[in-house]
Amino acid sequence: MPRVPAASSSSRRLIALGAAVAASMLIAGCAKDAPQDTWDPAGPNAQKIHDLQWPVFAIAGLVGVIVMGVIIYVVVRYRDRGQPIPEQTHGKPALEIGLTILPALILIGVAVPTVGTLLALSKTDDTECVVNVTGQQWWWEIDYPPQAGCGGIDRALITSGQMVIPTGTKVLVRGTSRDVIHSWWIPRLNGKRDMVPGRVQTVRLEADEPGIYAGQCTEFCGLSHANMRMEVVALSPEDFATWLANQTAEYTAPEESSLAADGEAVFLSQCASCHQVDGLLTADGAPAIAAPETRVYAGAAPNLTHLMSRNTFAGATFDLLTSSCREAVWEASPEEFGAAYLAGVTPACLNSVDLREWLRNAPEKKPMYADPTELEATDFLTRGMPYLALSEEQIDQLVAYLLERQ
Amino acid sequence: MFTTGSKLLFGGGTVAAVGAVLYGVLVAGALGTVGLTFAAAVLWLLGGISAVTRDANVSSMDVDALHYTAAAAPAPSASMWPAVGALGVVLLAVGLVTYQVVVVFGLIALVAAGAEWMVQAWSERVSDDAGRNAGIRGRLAHPLEFPVLAAVGVAVLVYSFSRIMLVLSKTGGPVAFGLIALAVLVAGFIVAVKPTLKTGMIGAVAAVGALGLVAGGIASALEGERDIEVHETTGGLAEHGECATAEETHADENASQSVAAKANVTGEVTLRSDGTLVARSLGIAGTADSIVVTRNNPTNILFRNDSDEARRLVLDAGLRYEDPTDTSSEQVPAQHCTALVEKGGTQLLTFTIANTSAAQDAPMTFSIPGLDAASVEVVVP
Repeated sequence: MPRVPAASSSSRRLIALGAAVAASMLIAGCAKDAPQDTWDPAGPNAQKIHDLQWPVFAIAGLVGVIVMGVIIYVVVRYRDRGQPIPEQTHGKPALEIGLTILPALILIGVAVPTVGTLLALSKTDDTECVVNVTGQQWWWEIDYPPQAGCGGIDRALITSGQMVIPTGTKVLVRGTSRDVIHSWWIPRLNGKRDMVPGRVQTVRLEADEPGIYAGQCTEFCGLSHANMRMEVVALSPEDFATWLANQTAEYTAPEESSLAADGEAVFLSQCASCHQVDGLLTADGAPAIAAPETRVYAGAAPNLTHLMSRNTFAGATFDLLTSSCREAVWEASPEEFGAAYLAGVTPACLNSVDLREWLRNAPEKKPMYADPTELEATDFLTRGMPYLALSEEQIDQLVAYLLERQ
Repeated sequence: MFTTGSKLLFGGGTVAAVGAVLYGVLVAGALGTVGLTFAAAVLWLLGGISAVTRDANVSSMDVDALHYTAAAAPAPSASMWPAVGALGVVLLAVGLVTYQVVVVFGLIALVAAGAEWMVQAWSERVSDDAGRNAGIRGRLAHPLEFPVLAAVGVAVLVYSFSRIMLVLSKTGGPVAFGLIALAVLVAGFIVAVKPTLKTGMIGAVAAVGALGLVAGGIASALEGERDIEVHETTGGLAEHGECATAEETHADENASQSVAAKANVTGEVTLRSDGTLVARSLGIAGTADSIVVTRNNPTNILFRNDSDEARRLVLDAGLRYEDPTDTSSEQVPAQHCTALVEKGGTQLLTFTIANTSAAQDAPMTFSIPGLDAASVEVVVP
């Protein structure tokens, strides 16, 4: 009986290495907690992309396997073994024409559904709700213009970090940027769209179920690009109406002589020049109007009127909720999600650790080119929240004040 | 055994070695000791080489070398490069206390002089045949010299020509341009039909022409540019608070033609034939009497004039700080406007509103001068 020759040690090493690479790639695709999974669509727009990318991926994969297979076969079969050089021929018209037409047909086959999907995704004439987003280093401002859509909005609303939309509603996001190009991408709801200064770009969002859909800026935009996150929060239309009502609620001043009242004073002296809190009055009774254009390079800072109605801060980089409370919101069933989210940030759920660290020294927590000695290029305007040298007592007061901004 | 040159080097090396010992003992400085020791080693090495090569006195070792070595070569020929190098040093020094551009010229002169002098010196040591040496120098240097000199020559001619065109009047410029082009054409034609013309004569004519051009350029540069009219813009109208004028200004000429095919605008503001103004925002169906724009962001609005007369769109954006970075500076009206847009015309208005509507005492509005009822509110959340 003939003996099967044993594989050489180098062959065994190559096989083992190949198996390790293949296993690593396979395991890398098995993330358990992947909120930005484009293969897990949660709305009709993302579904359209999903329906396109599967066949395109299959065709491209098949072509890749065939091409690689032929290359490997040729390399192995015709490798140099000292044989004489075969007869050289020039031209094979039938093969050349065939290998030109075949890829062209494949590309046409891919192009037809691709163009169809692009046209379907760019449709805007059946919009039911319009939301504006504006990117800047390194957070997203979100505002809702007055409109009949979104269940009716009488006056413009403004928030940041988390975009709240009603489920089952065709939401048109109109986006732009104040400084550099950013890119808006909520993978489970639609593709990405670059947000360019001076231009208004549109992208459609629609969520089937209530929940939080995470995203991240996908155009490198500077030092804290990796910390420029955003979330879309989908609420049932009824819950969305409740959220809207809360966003238009009048300002409630802190109780006199309370810690929060002291915090209001600290806010006025330290924060109000950049951050707007609608309804906040100065000591002489005039509305406190923020003028971030005098301090911040992008000319804007997040509106904090209802900070605790959203559960992230600093460009959705940090949670306002403790990990257990955050988990309760993220993992709530679609039926219970609205109530969980609308509960906002309660004193028991406040992630005071991150918030206090942020107030203590924001640039240390999120890189923002905040070194005063390096601000000459921006005419000494900062690219984010600067170090304010707040005392621990002031931080306590500010936290108490902000906690009431529900 | 020891030649004159090697004695000097060995002596220097010995002094350095003694110095190293003394420095190490008395001063205890590591750096100085190492440096002096290194110097001693180098000087001794050079002394040894000098002794072996008999101070490079080739004739003492090889009589034939008298005819082909560097030592046998005639004295170096006259060279302008030391002078150019000296000029470079002077320019460098002067530039350091005057203008940066002088430093650049000084560096260029130094580098050019250094390179050319080095190549020349090298080529003159090839043999005792000056002609052969010059040929070898040319083979090395000409591929670099010719393109650089040609580029410099062309740059001087182009710059001279541009100075002449800038000093001529708006009508004189095309005439001069035409005449020069005609002269070049005629000269080319003559050269083509008269192939027997002497190259020296053609060169002389070309040189005279080039010199004339350069002289004209120098004279024009001294004369200075003609007065170039500054056209009024809509930005100028806004700055001077003249947006409300119904008069046609220079900025209003061909207003619609200045509209690029601008996509991705925030919205459109249309003046209807009935004299009302309506807004349409991108993505929002229908028209409205208000439009939302983002603060501190360049915003593009298309103005369409569907009325029967030429009209101008004006944005009254409340007040702004004269110095945007200084809230204590004086507040002045923030106004933007389009040119006077003809009937059926369109123009783009680009503006940035620094602050929110809440910061303004009165609503911000788009309006049309002369039409009181035409108004669209601008909301900045």
